Amino acid sequence: MLALSPRPASTATISPTSTNALRVAPVSVAAGFPSPAQDYYDGAIDLTEMLVHDHAATFIVRAAGDSMTEAGISDGDELLVDRSKTPRHGDVVVAVLDGELTVKRLELGPHGVVLRAENAHHPDITVPELSDLQVWGVVTYCIHHLRGRR
Amino acid sequence: MIAHVDVNSAYASFERVFNPALETVPLVVLSNNDGMVVAASREAKALGLDLGKPWFELRPTAARSGVVAVSSNYELYGDMSRRVMEVLERFTHDLDVYSIDEAFLTVDRRTSADPEAMTRLGHDIKDALRRLLGVPVCVGIAQTRTLAKLSNRAAKKIDDLNGVCVWPAIDPGWREKLMRALPVSEVWGIASRLERRLGGHGVLTVWDLATVDPAHIRALFNVVVMRTALELRGIACIGPEEDHTGKKQQIIVSRSFSEKVTTTATMRQALSIYAQQAATRLVKHSQVAHTLTTFAGTSHWAQDKHHPTITVRLPFPTADPVQLTRAAHRLLPQIVEGARYARAGLLLTDLTPAGAQLPFEIFRSPHEDAGIATLIDRVQKKTGKNSLGLGYGGFRPGPSWQMKRTMLTPRATTHWAELTTVRA
Repeated sequence: MLALSPRPASTATISPTSTNALRVAPVSVAAGFPSPAQDYYDGAIDLTEMLVHDHAATFIVRAAGDSMTEAGISDGDELLVDRSKTPRHGDVVVAVLDGELTVKRLELGPHGVVLRAENAHHPDITVPELSDLQVWGVVTYCIHHLRGRR
Repeated sequence: MIAHVDVNSAYASFERVFNPALETVPLVVLSNNDGMVVAASREAKALGLDLGKPWFELRPTAARSGVVAVSSNYELYGDMSRRVMEVLERFTHDLDVYSIDEAFLTVDRRTSADPEAMTRLGHDIKDALRRLLGVPVCVGIAQTRTLAKLSNRAAKKIDDLNGVCVWPAIDPGWREKLMRALPVSEVWGIASRLERRLGGHGVLTVWDLATVDPAHIRALFNVVVMRTALELRGIACIGPEEDHTGKKQQIIVSRSFSEKVTTTATMRQALSIYAQQAATRLVKHSQVAHTLTTFAGTSHWAQDKHHPTITVRLPFPTADPVQLTRAAHRLLPQIVEGARYARAGLLLTDLTPAGAQLPFEIFRSPHEDAGIATLIDRVQKKTGKNSLGLGYGGFRPGPSWQMKRTMLTPRATTHWAELTTVRA
């Protein structure tokens, strides 16, 4: 599941930007006719192109714990963190709390900043001042494993 | 104008990005086999933990003052360095990567004419690296490379400058005061031996070297020192690719291409040339390298951005251009035909003095031509590193080049199994 994009992913232009990318071969259309798109094929869809907008500033981290399950983040999921994005109200962010990296939903309210857990069993964390909070980066995508791990 | 950007306590800063708990802790990074201190955070330096000191001597006192020591995480530093350079490329058309943690940027003409614009540029660079990568840097901007480096030193030392020192924007009286206060060894390329000799001729401070008659300096020393003296006067005479300092902890060969490289064949050629240059530098400093990172990148403004990179752990430390070229070429499968690459480069890390491994290299080389090395590599890949080896060393690597990194932090940006964990 690719969740939590702050904005819809841009239209996938088919272009070769990374050889590590997931390759999807062009599927031929109705039998008997040559594909009218064949001449325009210039590489495969590139997953990196869709997920990573700033190569230098994007990091991959791994979630540990179940405080964000309601946001679609399970224990062991990989998160793409784009540090070039300015954190906004409602973003899922990685924040620095007591020297530790924590993933929570950022809520900027009238009574200060709340790092909201997306699981009823976990408490929210209130930060008195925005300046007290160090946001490490904005989580743009979650790689949620649907079929277990190797 | 030239901007010089330098990461503050680079290795320590890179470590801190992924472990904020280390932010305020005195932190030292150890060399191969955890032998010596190769990097120290500001806090560690304040405790007198100097670079180049053997760790076993420092350990007892360090532990008592809460110092944290980590092994060199070359994979992490190499990747973070690549990211730093990628961000810097957004600020210039000509980036000259000087080492793993510093680079010179050519400042465009319009900005160069305006001290205020240069100050803004310096802060923009500094803020971008802090925001995008979490990496603290200082920036020095001046007419010459030597002055840009000196400005950077000033930016690091004088808190009021806020990490950015634009030489032409500073009051001349203040500049003179600074140059009179700094010993001549603070100048780029003036090593301690040279400092002593200069001292014998009354050249003690940066100011002395900047004001002495250049012809006199040339007669007493050589043209290199004269050029340094001229550079301090704002006359540019040291260009890119010039390496006039001594031994290094890492060697980097990287330039922006004058014309975009679009084919694998051209890239192969460029990487070959860089590998030869890197080998030459290694030989010059009597060093061998154990790790090679090869990278290429399209321009930041390119439509299809592509930044392939590969880190190769060399089978044994080497300065052999053939070995290095072959390792560099392992980037080629990642090169996309038709992509417009603006830059490529090689980064050699994990350097050790040459000599110790020499007999082994001679032993190995003749077998390489027979394709045995490739065969061994294939067998080892299939059945494990210790299944088959060549001669003595191939089977059981000796301690000097099998690195011991007992306090290694996760290789968080290059290994899936070692990603940074965030608490959910």
